[in-house]
Formats: sequence, structure tokens, C-alpha cells
Amino acid sequence: MSEAANEKPPLQLKSQKFREAREKDWKALAKQIDRAENGGLRKFTTEELLDLPVLYRSTVSSLSMAQSISLDRNLITFLQALCARAYVYMYGPHARPGVIVRDFFLRDLPRSVRALWGELSLSTLCLVLGIVGGILMCMADPSWYDPLVGGMSQGRDLNASVDDLRKTIGGSESGEPLAAFSVFLMSHNTQVTLSAFALGVIGGLPTAFLMIVFGMSVGAMVWLFASRGLGPDFIAWLSIHGTTELTAAVIGAAAGFHLARRIMFPGHLTRKAALAEAGRLAGTAMLGAMLMLVIAGFIEGVARQTVTEMWARFTFGGVMLVFWLAYFIAVGRLRKPRPPKLSHEVGHAQT
Amino acid sequence: MPRPDLMKGGAVALPSTEGPVTPVTTPEGVVLSFRTASFASRLAALVIDFLIIILAPVVLVILYILLPFEHLKFDNVKMDHPAIQALFILFVLIGFFLRSGYFMLFELGPRAATPGKRVMKIRVISHDGGHLTPSAVITRNALREVELYLPLTLALQASVNGGWVSLVALIWTLTLALLPLFNTSRARLGDFLGGTRVVHVPRERLSFDLAEQAPVTSPGLTFTPEQISVYGEKELGVLEEVLREKRATTLRAVADRIKARIGWVEPKIASDIPSDEAFLRAYYAALRAQLEGRMLLGRRRKDKFDE
Repeated sequence: MSEAANEKPPLQLKSQKFREAREKDWKALAKQIDRAENGGLRKFTTEELLDLPVLYRSTVSSLSMAQSISLDRNLITFLQALCARAYVYMYGPHARPGVIVRDFFLRDLPRSVRALWGELSLSTLCLVLGIVGGILMCMADPSWYDPLVGGMSQGRDLNASVDDLRKTIGGSESGEPLAAFSVFLMSHNTQVTLSAFALGVIGGLPTAFLMIVFGMSVGAMVWLFASRGLGPDFIAWLSIHGTTELTAAVIGAAAGFHLARRIMFPGHLTRKAALAEAGRLAGTAMLGAMLMLVIAGFIEGVARQTVTEMWARFTFGGVMLVFWLAYFIAVGRLRKPRPPKLSHEVGHAQT
Repeated sequence: MPRPDLMKGGAVALPSTEGPVTPVTTPEGVVLSFRTASFASRLAALVIDFLIIILAPVVLVILYILLPFEHLKFDNVKMDHPAIQALFILFVLIGFFLRSGYFMLFELGPRAATPGKRVMKIRVISHDGGHLTPSAVITRNALREVELYLPLTLALQASVNGGWVSLVALIWTLTLALLPLFNTSRARLGDFLGGTRVVHVPRERLSFDLAEQAPVTSPGLTFTPEQISVYGEKELGVLEEVLREKRATTLRAVADRIKARIGWVEPKIASDIPSDEAFLRAYYAALRAQLEGRMLLGRRRKDKFDE
């Protein structure tokens, strides 16, 4: 025994030597993760930042090693917990914000929306059916108007005179609490879109129902204004933010339909895998729809009251529509076919 | 419970982790066996978050009433005053954020957990081992609309109107909401859709190595290979726990049992008789040396009934 002078007994086991050699790294990683979790990542020096992934990888490899050579349970539990914490930190959702945003807008979002083309046509159909249905129902019996439009009418009810109606779609009258109302409407419409998406999980029929009802309320309002001879004015007024808002609602519902389709017809995947895949695609499209709703809210709050001429309104709405269509159709296309999940989604038969 | 893969050597679910385990293969190719967050801890996290969501507007309103903004009170100005308008907009926006954005924003943060989850020491991770993507977080939280808000609304409706339609709908949505109870990974619908799981991420302390402290060459404490090879890895784990706990009665009981099992003969000289702890430490070191030796050759021994 050459190390007899030492207080410590000589290392006997491979696992002990292993621990001796690597322990310093583990402790360093534990310290750094503690710091990072407490929000101190900004205070890291460049060297420490560069060291972090190295320490993480060496600890993960230590764990894999320890699992095959060591039977010290405390050691393995510690390494597991440390790796788990480091993993959750390293692979958490935070990446460089710039890269996330760029990838999302220039690649993920338009691609996911394109992949949903079949569902998009279905939800557009539902919305159009709703609008046409709403108009026809109110033409047949005006008493349908109130149940269809409900609390969102804001003075645009059956008893309103032509002047009253004209006022509600006019320019910026001072003293009208329109801004607050449009914020309320924005959060309401976002809620509708969210629900349309989420209801896709329970079979898709509720999504279709929601879209049709939503369309009906729009249709009923169109009927009201048209019956007072204000049809084009109303459509012009609506088109300013409506082109953005309705597109968003259609995308949200399409995402819901996609969920429903993949649950009912998972194809060659297991239902669970199909769901996870569908969720990712639909979730991306859904995030886009929600951002569009926020934009629509801004347009509603500002442009609706400042753009007052009919032609200007139509132009504004038309430009927005063309912008969205061009964005979703053209952005993020690839020259070379890469194998993302999205490409084979398109190939699937539609329901 | 994943079975040990002898070819890889990794991926062994540790016996000390109770409850279901969510194995995740990291991009480095290592299998991390996360302990799945239990339904109870997730519920507790949800309740904490809900308390925050409900109490925040209440606190805001109280603040508004308490703060001395006389010119901003409802009695003094008309509703269309721009300040009141701004306040109203602010309030609607805060309400909207709390309802739809609270969970998403916190889970997109660096800790991937809401305050409630942080208290319960649970985190959201991506099931496939990759990055937790923003779209996954959005999806899993958008589904709350179906799982949580819809049942609540329907329950309210059913209690007010008593309509059978809302009752049926309530039962239907409740089964969705209770989905985590019926699958092994305790995942709710939003987790399946987002490809996420919620796991327990505790902190563990690294203790000393027991084998290092074993008395190496005390005269009376040597074991024959036959005496050592009665136990397997499971018993080694139990022995480790006993030794780390160091409770005298347990030490005595375990030592007695092992001595009986291996046919231990106490040394003749009274001063050579080892204490229970010293005996167990020595036996632990010997057993671990043997089992780890076998392990290196790919022959693992799960417990005393193995082989």
C-alpha cells in the first residue's frame, strides 16, 4: 500500500475513482445552474457561459457512465436530479428571442398555415354559410336579429334610425367610448378564436357550430345595415379590421378542425403521436391567429376612426387582405424539399 | 417501469424514485428518468395559480379605491373621460391577460413554470427530449379552454338552469379534465397535444461515498465470496439507506439479520467484535465491490432472488 501515509484509504472501486475524477465538474455545474435559475445568467462572464454546455455534457455523460458502473444510489440520484435541472434549464423554451421571432414569422407560421389548406377551406365555408344564413334568416324574420347579435350590438339594434346607424360606423365622434368597446370586442373575438381552436379536440362539430354562429352575427348586422340602405358603408367599415379579424378566426377554426381530423383519423401513427404532431402544427397556426387578432384590435382602435372615406376604407381593408394572403401563400417556401413534418401533412386526404 | 437494457447499460429506473416515471431521451442520447408530477401536486399548483389569477384583479380594484386619485373616481367624472377610458382599457387588458396569457407567459419564461408550479417544484418539459417550443406551450395552454373553463362554465349553467344538456356536457368535459388520472404519464389533454409532460424536478444533495469510509483492513472484517454473494443490488440500496440514516435500532436489526443469513462467526476476542455500523459498512463495501465488479462484465444482479 503505497499511499499508507494518506489519511484516506486508497481508492479501491472503479466507481470511487470515477467519482473522484468528475466530482469537481458536477459541483461546478450545480453552482452555475443555481445561479442561472435565480436569473443571474446575465452576470455570467463569457468564459462561464461557454463552460456551461461543456459542464452539462460532461455531467450527462457522467450520469450515463455512473448508471453502468456505480451502485452508489445517492450518487446516481444526485446526478439524475442535477441533470434533470440542467436539462430543463438548457432545453427550456428560452432561446435567443431574435432567432425565435425570425424563424417563427419567416418559416413556421406561414408553413403551418399552408399545411392546413383543407381545413382552411372548411372553416371558410362555415363562416360564409353563417354569414349567408344570418342574412337569409333575418330577411325571413327580423326578430332573429336580437338573438343572433346579442350584447355586441352597441346601439345597432332594430329600432335604431338610419342616422343612428350611420353614426356607429362614422368617423371619430368625440365623447364616444368606442376605444374601450373595441378593446372589449378584441378580447371577445380572441376568446371566440381560442374556443374554436380548443373545441376541435371534442370532435370538430362545436368548432363548426361556433364559426357558423359567429358568421351569423356578422350576417345579421350586414342585413340590418343593408335594409337601411347602408350596406356598402357597413361593409367598408367592417373591412378595415374585419379582413384581418375574420382571417384570424378562420385560421383558428382551421387549426381546431385539424385537431379533430387527426384525432379521428390518425393515419399510420398512433393516436397519441398523431395528436402531438397535430398539436404542434395547429398550435403554431393558432399563435399566428392570436397575433393577427391583436393587430386587428390595433387597427380597430386607430384606423376605424381615422379612415372615414368609403374608398379609403375599402382600400385599407383590401390591402390588409392582400397582405395576409401574400404572406401566408408566399413566405417561407423552400427551393429544396426538406423533410419537415409539414410536407406530408399536405399530402393527407382531407375529411 | 422501463426494463433495464443490458446492451446500453443506461435507462434503469431507479428503485428510490417512487411513482410513475417519464423517461426522456435527451439530445445527448442519455435517458433521464424524470419522476412524473403527481395529479395532486399539479392540482395544488393549479389552485395556487388560480388564487393569483382571482386575487390580482381584486387587489387592483382595492388599490384603485384606496389610492387618492380623486379626479379619477367615477362620481367626479363622466364615463367618457379619457382617463376613465384608459383605466377601463387597462382593466380589460389585464383581465384578458390573466385569463389567456398568464400560463403561457410564465411557461415561456426561463424556468418553464408558473409560480404555482415553481412552489410545487414541477416543470414543463418536451416529451421528445428536444427544446420546449413556444408553439407547444401555446397549444397546451389553449386547451385549458376545453379542460378547465368549459367545465366551469357548464357547471355554473347546470347549477343555475339545471338543464340536462349542460349536465351531460359537464360530465363529458369532466372526463376530459380528469384524463391525467387515467394514463400512466399523468398527462392532460393539452400535454398530449403539445407533446409536453409535467415532471418533478427536485434538488438533491451529493453526500459522501459510503465505500470510501469503510474500514479497509480491520482484522476481523473479511468476508468470503460466498458470504458476499447472497445479496443483490436492491439489498445494497436498502443497506445504503440504512447506513445513511444511522438509526441505532435499525442498524442493529439489519446487522443481526445479515449475520444470521451469511453465517457470521463473531471473533473470539471481545475487543475485536466490530460495532454494528462498522460491520455494516464493511459488508456494504464488500458487497458493492463484488456487484460493481460483476456489473462491469455486464452481469447485473437485481436482487437476492436473481440467478
